[in-house]
Amino acid sequence: MKFLVAGVASTVALAAAGCGGENTSAGSSGEGKTVRLYIGGDVNVRGLWEKTLIPAFREAHPGYDVRVTFSEHGVNDTTTLAKLGAAVKADQDAGFDLADSGLVRQAATSGLLAKVDTTSVPNLANVDESALEPVDHAAVPYRGSSVVLAYNSSKVKEPPQTLDELLAWIKANPGKFTYNSPSTGGSGQSFVTTVLDKFLSEEDRQKMVEGYVPELESLWDEGFAVLKELHPAIYQGVYPNGNQDVLNLLGKGEIWMAPVWSDMALSSMESGLLGPEIKLTQIRNPSFTGGAAYLGMPKNARNKEAALKLLNWVLEPEQQQKIVEVLAGYPAINLEKMPAEVQEKFAGLETQNLRLTYSQKMISDLNNLWQQKVPG
Amino acid sequence: MRSQRIRGLLMVAPPVLVVALFVGFPVLTAAMYTLGHTGGPNSVVASIGQRQHFADHWWGTTDAYAEVFASQQFQRSVVATVIVTVVSVAVTLTLAWAIALYVRLSGSRVAKVFSALAVVPLFIPVVIASYAILTFYASDGFVRTVAALLGWESAPTFSYTMVAVTIAQVWVNLPFGVLMMTSGLAAVPDVLIDAARDAGASLPRAVVSVLVPLNLVPTVIVASFTGIAVLGSFTVPYLTGPSAPNMLGPLMTNTFGAFNQPQQAQVMAMVVFAIAAGIGAVYVWANFRSAKRSGAVL
Repeated sequence: MKFLVAGVASTVALAAAGCGGENTSAGSSGEGKTVRLYIGGDVNVRGLWEKTLIPAFREAHPGYDVRVTFSEHGVNDTTTLAKLGAAVKADQDAGFDLADSGLVRQAATSGLLAKVDTTSVPNLANVDESALEPVDHAAVPYRGSSVVLAYNSSKVKEPPQTLDELLAWIKANPGKFTYNSPSTGGSGQSFVTTVLDKFLSEEDRQKMVEGYVPELESLWDEGFAVLKELHPAIYQGVYPNGNQDVLNLLGKGEIWMAPVWSDMALSSMESGLLGPEIKLTQIRNPSFTGGAAYLGMPKNARNKEAALKLLNWVLEPEQQQKIVEVLAGYPAINLEKMPAEVQEKFAGLETQNLRLTYSQKMISDLNNLWQQKVPG
Repeated sequence: MRSQRIRGLLMVAPPVLVVALFVGFPVLTAAMYTLGHTGGPNSVVASIGQRQHFADHWWGTTDAYAEVFASQQFQRSVVATVIVTVVSVAVTLTLAWAIALYVRLSGSRVAKVFSALAVVPLFIPVVIASYAILTFYASDGFVRTVAALLGWESAPTFSYTMVAVTIAQVWVNLPFGVLMMTSGLAAVPDVLIDAARDAGASLPRAVVSVLVPLNLVPTVIVASFTGIAVLGSFTVPYLTGPSAPNMLGPLMTNTFGAFNQPQQAQVMAMVVFAIAAGIGAVYVWANFRSAKRSGAVL
């Protein structure tokens, strides 16, 4: 019996010690050295962090670490955003210190994220001011990308230049085009949004980008009708799940044209998944959406100091070059700060004035309406 | 006698409490939420969701149910789910019975190899199996390639159709069926079959009159477990199925996450729960019947 009591006592003591350790690493005083990073996106973004950035960060800042939470295709973005909102309101821990996901833009404009400036993140001095405006200076752009049109140049000699030409091409070449369902990836979502935008006034569109206006959703009907009309010409009538599946179909030669993320397409070309016959182009009237990928820190993040250190570090030219190499993304800092070879790579490419997509809640409704109206 | 009863109650109390706390309570709050009660334990999910319906009577509102039931998307999904479930159960039962009968009646080495092969899918993760089926029946897959070589150029492509979903469901559920059936048939004594044969019954007659009745309970178990598993499946239809109409699993997940409509998703979950409860009732009845026969209950 005595033995048992001693055992229990030592277990309790151990547990208490464990809790103590936990408190110092995740305490609200900000002395924790582990940044908890939430990633919502495709596996290429997770790969960038886990294989390239985090090991380099550990090396550059001994004692600091990054722990990743990954939501594939960002399917948990909406719930994570709501959780963040509730956590900030109640001053509770949101479960992460930095987020790299589509939800950051909306979280920033809703005032849930900490403001950043050149005092807290000195390297922001190298970032274009205009990139900070869409997020109210409450998030750090760390790479950019846009959706572009990928086509098989051995089959398609003259790619479409405008959205109307693209729609005509799809109908004229049944079974040679598809896009992923909008709920599973940004490239298909961008195609859907772009078709819907064709029938929207600039003013209405701006409202959808900035906030939640369900009463304007009836304006989408015309666009959805166009998408429904395309359905018989879609590859097997199937909208694959995720950006990557569309790239796979393109690489296998099953389809000849598709909307894809510029960064995913470029890195797939480097890895050989996409052959040299695949070429990229951008359409006009309207163009596909795109933008910077932002890193945001909750207002009440538990490990602020470490998170700010990571934010500043990732904007250094050395890391930016790694991002350009690994992800084929656009650098977030001014091109003049980048090495000459990178400047050359992006010479003449439109990396500014990318068209932003709708707000998170509008996207949720868009996903639902698309699922009801377009496939099947 | 009385202390024994109390001791029995005490022994069963911990698992009952755990089930009540971790299963019963969430189910109850979910049911309340579908009726529009958004306060208390539902306040967090209610602060997240879009397009919710709020209670307007003391008992709640049926608006969420009305919305979901009226949705064509949901109706088509229910039809697809029920058809896939019924077909998968029927095919699984037929195949499992055929393999088990062959093993029972032949007992040869070939039969044993056959039944062992049928269990292999048990050791292959569902995700891998789904992708394998997807590529096997793709437009450039094995089946169509062989068909084209044999001169059939327009062989159907099953990938991303409900046919592929059904094939994958059978693949996933067959091992359990075969295991249950072979052990069930093995338990039937040889003397019963021999006696029937001696009395002049043909082999089919012996199967129908002896083996089928004695193997009824395993059959019901396989049917109900397969039915419930297919009904609530997500991975197989998500990976191999069409964009729409697909089964309820992917639709519920989409509704909950991508459409951000947790209330509507839970209404659908209630429907699945009701169907599964119906299947479960059959299972309980079969078990009760066999227990009664063996004298365990009065």
